[in-house]
Amino acid sequence: MRALAGAGPSLAGALCIALVACAGQPTGAESRVLTAPLFEHQLGNGLQVVVVPWDSPGVMAYATLVRTGSRDEVEPGRSGYAHLFEHMMFRGTPRHSEGDYARILRQLGAEDNATTNDDRTLYTILAPATALETIMDLEADRFQNLSYTEEVFRTEAGAVLGEAHTLSSQPQIALLERLREVAFDHHPYEHTTLGLVEDIRAMTEGFEYSRNFFHRFYRPENTIVIVVGDVVPEIVFALTERFYGSWERGYQTPAVVQEPAQTATRRETLRWRGPTAPWLAVGYRAPAFTTASVDTAAIDVLASLLFGEASPLYQDLVVNRRLADVIAGALTDHRDPYLFEILIRASDERHLPAIEGALAEAMEQLREHPVEKELLEAVKSHLRYEFALELDSPLHVAEDLAHYIALTGSSSTVHEVFARYAQVTPADVQRMARELFRSPSATTVLLIPGDDRTAAPEAEP
Amino acid sequence: MRARSSQTVLLAASVLLGSCGSQPRIDTVVRPASSSPLVAIRLLVRAGSAHDPPGKEGTAALTGLMLARAATKLRTYPEILDDLYPTASSIEVRTDREVTLFETVVHLDHLDILTDLLVESLTRPAFGDEDFERNRDQLLAELDTVLRTDDELLGLELLQQTIFSGHPYGHAPAGTSESVAALEIEDVRTFFDQHYTRDRMLLGVGGGAPDGYAEQLQRRLAKLPSGGAPDALPPAPELIGRHLTLVRKATSGVGIHLGFPLAVTRTDEDYVPLLVATTILGDHRTFHGRLIEELRIARGLNYGDYAYVEYFHDPPETSSPTPNVPRRHQYFSIWLRPVAPQLAPFALRAAVYELERLIEEGVSEDEVETTRTYLRHRSKLWALDGSSQVGFALDSRYYDMPPFLEDLDRRLERLSATEVNDAIRVHLQSTNLQIVFVGGDTDALRDTLATEQAPLPEYPSPSSDSRRATDRDIASLSLDLTSIREISVDELFSVPAL
Repeated sequence: MRALAGAGPSLAGALCIALVACAGQPTGAESRVLTAPLFEHQLGNGLQVVVVPWDSPGVMAYATLVRTGSRDEVEPGRSGYAHLFEHMMFRGTPRHSEGDYARILRQLGAEDNATTNDDRTLYTILAPATALETIMDLEADRFQNLSYTEEVFRTEAGAVLGEAHTLSSQPQIALLERLREVAFDHHPYEHTTLGLVEDIRAMTEGFEYSRNFFHRFYRPENTIVIVVGDVVPEIVFALTERFYGSWERGYQTPAVVQEPAQTATRRETLRWRGPTAPWLAVGYRAPAFTTASVDTAAIDVLASLLFGEASPLYQDLVVNRRLADVIAGALTDHRDPYLFEILIRASDERHLPAIEGALAEAMEQLREHPVEKELLEAVKSHLRYEFALELDSPLHVAEDLAHYIALTGSSSTVHEVFARYAQVTPADVQRMARELFRSPSATTVLLIPGDDRTAAPEAEP
Repeated sequence: MRARSSQTVLLAASVLLGSCGSQPRIDTVVRPASSSPLVAIRLLVRAGSAHDPPGKEGTAALTGLMLARAATKLRTYPEILDDLYPTASSIEVRTDREVTLFETVVHLDHLDILTDLLVESLTRPAFGDEDFERNRDQLLAELDTVLRTDDELLGLELLQQTIFSGHPYGHAPAGTSESVAALEIEDVRTFFDQHYTRDRMLLGVGGGAPDGYAEQLQRRLAKLPSGGAPDALPPAPELIGRHLTLVRKATSGVGIHLGFPLAVTRTDEDYVPLLVATTILGDHRTFHGRLIEELRIARGLNYGDYAYVEYFHDPPETSSPTPNVPRRHQYFSIWLRPVAPQLAPFALRAAVYELERLIEEGVSEDEVETTRTYLRHRSKLWALDGSSQVGFALDSRYYDMPPFLEDLDRRLERLSATEVNDAIRVHLQSTNLQIVFVGGDTDALRDTLATEQAPLPEYPSPSSDSRRATDRDIASLSLDLTSIREISVDELFSVPAL
């Protein structure tokens, strides 16, 4: 699943969907999800290019996906560098200074953005389609020739600390950070993409390391260019050969330590200095994203059954007893085994035990009783149309595609996922509920208001 | 239907469904149909928080929730959720100062389901006790867990409340803890009867809606009664002096907001010149603008710094203007994202410094030309999806002006630097400001702000002499604060008056 699926004003999930059901093994032709065709090309240096002609007259989305995220931060003291590097990518090249880059995009009226998560970094530009060559020139240049001074690096490290300040006021972010810290001991998923505060503060001294980061990970065989919009695939491919063809291979695979199995439950309470509602976060060890089987597809169905607005749990906790006003849960797609995360905002701290009880009971129901076929079909329909509703702009299409390509390196994944959803049976759901919701693999963190131990980061000295 | 050129897709005039004889009607805007299988529907009702009865702040928002997230006379709320679930669609509701918006995007396959629900919700609401208590709790939770928790939303909302203190705009749409806790179901029924009339509604339809659909929908909704409460608003409060509000809250950074009332809306001649001026000062969430260039890019003080000529909805989460938050009273604002507490006095002065520089020196022809070109291109990206297109069309109708995006492009095309500088001189000033700080040690901030000189920032790398000289000028800028008030975050949004 792409994000936490659930119900509530601020945690509504999104999930990609099959528009066409398929039988048997997932393939490209029969399991087509997007009604628009995908065109693909690969350069000799390993760079992949995916083009989707889309009905957005005069507009295109140009996305560059680097399959490096905070998961790749394996060296101690270096958490947050994938995200920092996302910032550094805007700081210029010998041919195009930072100001040049900004000026050109500005003249085009382009909207550019970048995001980093555990497994990837994505750079997007929404621009007039007539600017394809200009955009590609700029992007190819900075991905191959990025150049910045130590002074600039140190200044940007300060901005990242500012971003950390911006996010630090939200208790649910601190909660999810702590959940990961407690649930993982070895894998880099232990820290969030923003990084540990002490590592962020130390970033100003990491200039050389940042250059090394670029040379190790920003390589063509680790990168995919995705163009969606009013474009012609053959023209895009020809341009990529011209602009990216000389980019040299050299990707170095980081030694990511896999997390051993969890053998006992883990539990912690976090006190938050400042106003907050009480929160409950639970993480169950869960498998990595896959389309080789229906397993993670069945878990996504499970998440909708448990936390969707039509679910018994939502009806009980939110509508009838009003013990909570937000409930959400999902296995967000990850390259490595991760957590099925559950996040519930209670209406009162005294309701937390009852909420945990209701959650346990709902999980027990799914373990012991196969879901009715009619309900399973309703979930599949929900997932299908939820995806369809996302396809409202070239940028969203590019982002959805990038999500799946980041996980496997293949554009066919977006079709395979939805083929697997169509194949999920009640027995699959029950099997995954039994495998997933086992107490030794559970980590629970409660966040409640109080002053005993602050969870708000200390101010800068 | 094959795609049209970008010009016509985004700028095509919406169709207004005219009156047909003496049949009751709802004012309806229809966007030309696209090839998309997604249908966008928006209903804008003149029933915002400015219409909350005194002492009953939050009524408009609660009424909206009772229509969009509650039972009807035909179905319970769980039944509605069951019916909606396979469609993945829902009716979303949002209350702002002047309007409440109901919107949905639905696949053509399920258009009938959402249409029936929308009509049923608006014309046959149940107003049951259980739904009322749940939705009232929802509003209280929003105050407790969103506004008080999220520093940036808190600061953005509080700035509005300080600028419009004592005015119908002067409280959050979610009301206050005290007022919402005291609301009763009869308050909602009364509000609904007074404000949910067909004369106070604007309906918008777009995306891949079938021919004739909009007319059918408006006829069904037009069964609502006519008339409704008066819609007059008093003028914005007069602001004299510089007033600082310090919010005591445990945070690692200090968020800074400043602004003043602005007697310019989209219909005014000076709107576009001021839009260009504020874009030059601080373009929303881009790296362009004097503020971000000086505060973040040059000095690394924080994550972002922006300026606005009108209310901008939920800026932390959006990159483009959100339609359907129209207001007849606007305000100019500057938003500095959190800085380290010891840098807050300097950052505030830096923002005032840039504002004063804008006022005293104006903008160059080059800057206007660059920004004009940028906005002409960028605005064409604001409404790529059917729902946004409907939204902007509704706003144009609300303001009784030509289609906004088309009109903006036309006005930008003929804009001159002289007009921009004239508008700056007429409307922008720095003498009378409301300023809000959220977080940090308020005692220490108060003490530091009382001194004539702000602490200078320390940079991780050596900085140039000119930078240092500018820093000294900024640090010694006099704030001349007329008042400093301190308030705890726990007190905020508890009672109507600040």
